[in-house]
Amino acid sequence: MGEKLLMSGNEVIAEAAIRAGCRFYFGYPITPQTEIAHYLAKRMPEAGGTFLQAESEIAAINMVYGASAAGARAMTSSSSPGISLKQECISYLAGAELPAVIVNIVRCGPGLGGILPAQCDYFQAVKGGGHGDYKMVVLAPCSVQELYELTVEAFNIADRYRVTVMIMGDGILGQMMEIVEFRDEEEIFNADKSWALTGTGMKRENNFITSIYINPEVLEAHNRKLQQKYREIERNECRVEVYNCENADVIVAAFGTVARIVKNVIKQAEREGIKVGLIRPITLWPFPNEAFLKYAQVPRAFLTVELNAGQMLEDVKLALNGANKTYFYGRMGGMIPAQKEILDEIKKIMEK
Amino acid sequence: MAYNFKEVARKPERFTGGHRMCAGCGAPVVIRQILRALKPEDHAVISAATGCLEVSTFLYPYSAWKDSFIHSAFENAAATISGAEAAYNGMRRRGKLDQEGETKFIAFGGDGGTYDIGIQALSGAMERGHDMVYVCYDNGAYMNTGIQRSSATPMFADTTTSPVGRESQGKNQRKKDLTEIMVNHHIPYVAQTAAIGNLKDLYEKAEKAIYTKGPAFLNVLAPCPRGWRYEASDLMQINKLAVDTCFWPLYEVVEGKYTVNYKPKNKLPVVEFLKAQGRFRHLFKKGNEELLDMIQKEVDRRWERLLSLEASN
Repeated sequence: MGEKLLMSGNEVIAEAAIRAGCRFYFGYPITPQTEIAHYLAKRMPEAGGTFLQAESEIAAINMVYGASAAGARAMTSSSSPGISLKQECISYLAGAELPAVIVNIVRCGPGLGGILPAQCDYFQAVKGGGHGDYKMVVLAPCSVQELYELTVEAFNIADRYRVTVMIMGDGILGQMMEIVEFRDEEEIFNADKSWALTGTGMKRENNFITSIYINPEVLEAHNRKLQQKYREIERNECRVEVYNCENADVIVAAFGTVARIVKNVIKQAEREGIKVGLIRPITLWPFPNEAFLKYAQVPRAFLTVELNAGQMLEDVKLALNGANKTYFYGRMGGMIPAQKEILDEIKKIMEK
Repeated sequence: MAYNFKEVARKPERFTGGHRMCAGCGAPVVIRQILRALKPEDHAVISAATGCLEVSTFLYPYSAWKDSFIHSAFENAAATISGAEAAYNGMRRRGKLDQEGETKFIAFGGDGGTYDIGIQALSGAMERGHDMVYVCYDNGAYMNTGIQRSSATPMFADTTTSPVGRESQGKNQRKKDLTEIMVNHHIPYVAQTAAIGNLKDLYEKAEKAIYTKGPAFLNVLAPCPRGWRYEASDLMQINKLAVDTCFWPLYEVVEGKYTVNYKPKNKLPVVEFLKAQGRFRHLFKKGNEELLDMIQKEVDRRWERLLSLEASN
């Protein structure tokens, strides 16, 4: 392994993008992710890349559309209200099958909400915040190291399938400083981008990138093709961490920041004689249904813990399909559950 | 009635103390004075774009605003106030309002929320002709999120997204001329002003803007001690230098007719304005004389153009 550095999550996302070969970043200020832009404003010129600050989030994502259409690895980042503004273009990116990486350092909503950590954009990211039948891959890291590794991976997945990949964190992950160990060299998926708009040089037929298909038969075929691609992603790209689930009394489902807290709860519960497991989806879409099915009968019940009112909960229920009981515990508005709160919920389930 | 600073200052405050704007910030000085131009019996509906002003003056239930206040998001202060004004007119038409005094509609936005992300909503509101005033307090960067460049940032200023370093001498682009963009909407009243001296220019323009029927636009310089890097106590001096160097000319355009309200007897070189601020410090390193020269030429060009517009009325 390569150098070890102490860095904040936002800086690591930015550095990882450079290491993944991203040379085009289009940003716009919004707390708590602006450090990504600060870092890349300095670092991109050094790496021979382009940093552009757009006049709005809408402009930034459309710049990604333009750069991606030209075959470049491009990224934008924002936080919840800004991601809402980007939704139109995210749908267009999906329709036009353009690879792109979008970072959402989620803050609590709705509306202006606040700037504190939350996971309330789960539905928007996973179920499709824009219009139309589309999916994007959603990666949910839980440490600075994972922010690094998954950011690199995000570019590979985006290029491999010509899809949008979202990295979803929160202010805790973005602002927190941890040790990150960089690899000497990244594995970069070398995509065939012969579809890109690079100029024909009068030597080939012109390429065409679009999301408009006025003929309904053609548009249905296009949609079927997209769906086929999404099924392939579901088969190949599911990532999950299963921890301590053998013989567990209760299995907790949690992602991102919350999963870190749950790991401490597991230790505490063990001291009190309760065996708690954790299923941590690393890809929120595709959702790791199989991990849930595998352990469906093991615990007395499942408990989903999130920083929202119960969003991933719905996917946990769909995955279990009635095979076991499911409970939920959530905090909102930037409140973070203490270990004791989660342990108390587990104890309540044990008493049922 | 001639402007009397003491009398104006004695008017009840409509923008009160206790807000959380920084010491040495230009914006609250500007806001207080603009609101003093309202007749005491008149009401105001204030809309603000997301920004320093909004987050520091309105965290419900705490508010520094004595008047009604509405905020929705970053890009749409002008649209939000348009809706409020339209609703007010509709209710008045149907005889549902029986209050005394007039109700005035005033939107405030920083340069990020006005020059950049809010320009679409602003342009729409001005063109539709709502009876409102839009005030841009221009501090030349996104100060609320930590000093990122905007299209109002002056050339060569150091910001966190136009950082000075080996590859960069700060922001590489010229400052957008929003006042002229608004003039070209051919609305009844457009003015550019700043808080200098006894704040007469600011007050009189605010009064005209508020009491001119139809849409009006004010572009007001609002220095930022953190972003511009000056001592809090230097605020008024910085304002004065901006005007005396003609970096920020005071002028107004009434029904298309230009008036330059202040022509410094002794037009100072722009370096006097630049050297008072840390964001331009790198320009005074040896070898950067050319950059200073570029800034001076640009200031001169815009000033001469303005004078010729006035002359050709």
